[in-house]
Amino acid sequence: MKPMKFTVKFSVIIAVLALLPFVLRAPFLTHIGVMMGLYVTLALSMNLMLRIGQISFAHGAFMGLGAYGSALFMMRLGLPFPLAFFGAALAVTLLAWLVGQVFLRIRGVYFVLLTFAFGEIIVLIFVEWVSLFGGSNGLAGVPRPGLFGYEIQSRDGFYLLALALAAFAYASVRALYRSELGAVITSLDENEALTRSLGIDSRQYRLLTFCFSAFLAGLSGALYGHYLTLVTPEDYGFWVPVNLVVINVIGGVANPIGCILGALLLVPLPEFLRDAKQYQVLLYGILLILFLLFMPDGLHGVMEKFRRRMSGRAK
Amino acid sequence: MFELAIKIVINGLTSSLVYILMALGFTLIFGIMRVVNFAHGELYMVASFLVYVLVGSLGWNYYLVVVLAAVAVGLFGMVLERVLFRPFIGRELNGMIMALAVSITLQASAFILFGSDEHSVERPISGVIHLGSVIVPRDRLAVGLIALVILAVFYLFMRYTKAGLAMRAVVQDEEIASIHGIRPKLVHPLAFGLGAMLAGFAGALMAPIYTVYPYMGSQPMLKAFIVVILGGLGSIPGAVLGGVVLGLTESAFATLINTTVATMVSFGIVVLILLVKPTGLLGR
Repeated sequence: MKPMKFTVKFSVIIAVLALLPFVLRAPFLTHIGVMMGLYVTLALSMNLMLRIGQISFAHGAFMGLGAYGSALFMMRLGLPFPLAFFGAALAVTLLAWLVGQVFLRIRGVYFVLLTFAFGEIIVLIFVEWVSLFGGSNGLAGVPRPGLFGYEIQSRDGFYLLALALAAFAYASVRALYRSELGAVITSLDENEALTRSLGIDSRQYRLLTFCFSAFLAGLSGALYGHYLTLVTPEDYGFWVPVNLVVINVIGGVANPIGCILGALLLVPLPEFLRDAKQYQVLLYGILLILFLLFMPDGLHGVMEKFRRRMSGRAK
Repeated sequence: MFELAIKIVINGLTSSLVYILMALGFTLIFGIMRVVNFAHGELYMVASFLVYVLVGSLGWNYYLVVVLAAVAVGLFGMVLERVLFRPFIGRELNGMIMALAVSITLQASAFILFGSDEHSVERPISGVIHLGSVIVPRDRLAVGLIALVILAVFYLFMRYTKAGLAMRAVVQDEEIASIHGIRPKLVHPLAFGLGAMLAGFAGALMAPIYTVYPYMGSQPMLKAFIVVILGGLGSIPGAVLGGVVLGLTESAFATLINTTVATMVSFGIVVLILLVKPTGLLGR
C-alpha cells in the first residue's frame, strides 16, 4: 500500500465519521461514539505496552491522574481547557517517566504485579486525600471544556474531540509501528538480547513506549472527566486495564486496527446493557475465554485469515 | 502496653493463618504452572457460597460442608487446569489473562445467581474467651486451629509423599524433574487442584465470620498476592513467612493507626520488594 493511499483513505473515513452525528441526529449513538473514541485511544495505549510484552496495570491510575489533573487545573488554577488538558497529560507522562526509570527494570508477571500495586496505591490516594481529590465522592461539577471562546456543551462537540483524539492516537501508533523506531520496539519483546547486541539501549526504548502510552491514557482520562463532569476514584481502578486487555485480545494484538475492532464490539455493550451490568461482565469473561482458546489472534486475525483465503481462491 | 502487644499478636496470627491458606495455593499454582491465578479469590468465594447454600439454606452440618466445599473447589480447580489453563503452559502473560477471564466470569455468575446482597451464615461457634484482659472470639480461634491442622497436613503431604516430592521438584526445575519421570500432565492438575482446595478451605472457614457476596474474593486475593510477593512467588516457606509478616504488620498498623494506613503500608512494601528483590524474601 502506498503511504498516500492510507492518508487519503484515513482522512475520508475521519471526515465521514465527523459528519455522522449531524446527519443521524441520534444523541445516544453520539454518546457511544464518544466512548468509542476514548476507548480506542486507551486500547491503543495498552497495545503499545503489549508490543513490548509488558502488561501495565498502572493505566487506570494514569487515566485517573489525567482526569483529576485536568479537572483540578481548571477548577483550582483557572487554566483554560487546552492548557489544563495537555498539562495534565504531560504531568502523567512525567510521572510515567519517573516511575518508569525503575519499574521497567522488572519484567513479565512481576511488572504486572508491580504496576498493579502502584495503581492500587494511586486509587487509595484519590480516596484518602479528601481535600484535594474529594474522597470517594470524587470531584463533581468538572467544568466543560472551552475552545476558541466557545464552551463545548453538546455531545456533538465532545464527539468531535474524542474522534480527533482517537484519530491522533491511531495515526501516531500506526506510524510509529511502521517506522524504524517501531521495529526496534517490536524487537524488544521478540528478541531483546539480539537487539541489545546491536548496541541499542533497550531500556530507553521501553521508557519511551511507556511514556507515550501513559500520555495517551492521560489524554483520554482528561477528556473522560470533562465529558462526565464527574471524576470518582472507582472509575480508575483495576477494571480499566482489565477492559483494555479484553479489547486488545478480542480485537487482535498484532495490529492497531485490532483496538478499533475490539472497541467496536465491546464498547457499545455496556451502554445497551446498562441495567444488567453483570450480564455484560459475564459476556466479557466468556468472550475472553473463547477468544484466548480458539482465536488467539483476535478479530483482526480472523479477518486476515479470511482475506488470505479469499485472495487465494481468486487466483 | 503489654496487653496491646498481646492483642496485636493474637489478631495478627489468626489472620495470618487464613492468609497463609490463600497464599500457599496461589504460590503453589504459580510455582508449578507459572500462572498468576487472578481467579484465586473467586475460588474462595465459590466455597463460601457452597457453605451459604448447604449450611444456610439446606441445614447440613457445617464441618462436613467445609470439607465438601474444599474438595468440590479442588475438583473444580482440576477441571479449570485441564480445560482452560493447559493450553497456556509456558506463556505467562496469556495464562494470567485467562485467570482474569475466569475471575470476572465467576464473579458475574455469582452476582447473577445470588444478587449483590451480603448474605450471612450462622456461626457454628460463638462467644469469647478471656485471656487476662484480652478478649478473643471463639470462632476466630477455632478457625485458626483448623487452619493450623490443614497447614500441618499440607506440610506432611508435601514433605513425605511421592506426589509432594514431585511437586517440590517441579517448582525447582520442571525440565530436570521431567527427566526423572515426573509427568507435568499429572503434576499440573494436582497442584492446581490442591491450590484451589486450600482456597476452598479458607473460603468455607471464613463464610460464617464475614458475609458472603460475589466480590468477597478480591480482599483475600489481594492479601494472598501481597503475602506471596513478600515471601517470593513460587516459594512455599516464603508464603508462610509472608503470611505471618503481613498478619502482624497489618494488625499492628490497624490497631495503632487505622486500616487504610495498614493497606497503604502493605502495598508500599510490595512495590519496594518488587523493585529491590523481585524474588521476595525467600525466593530463589
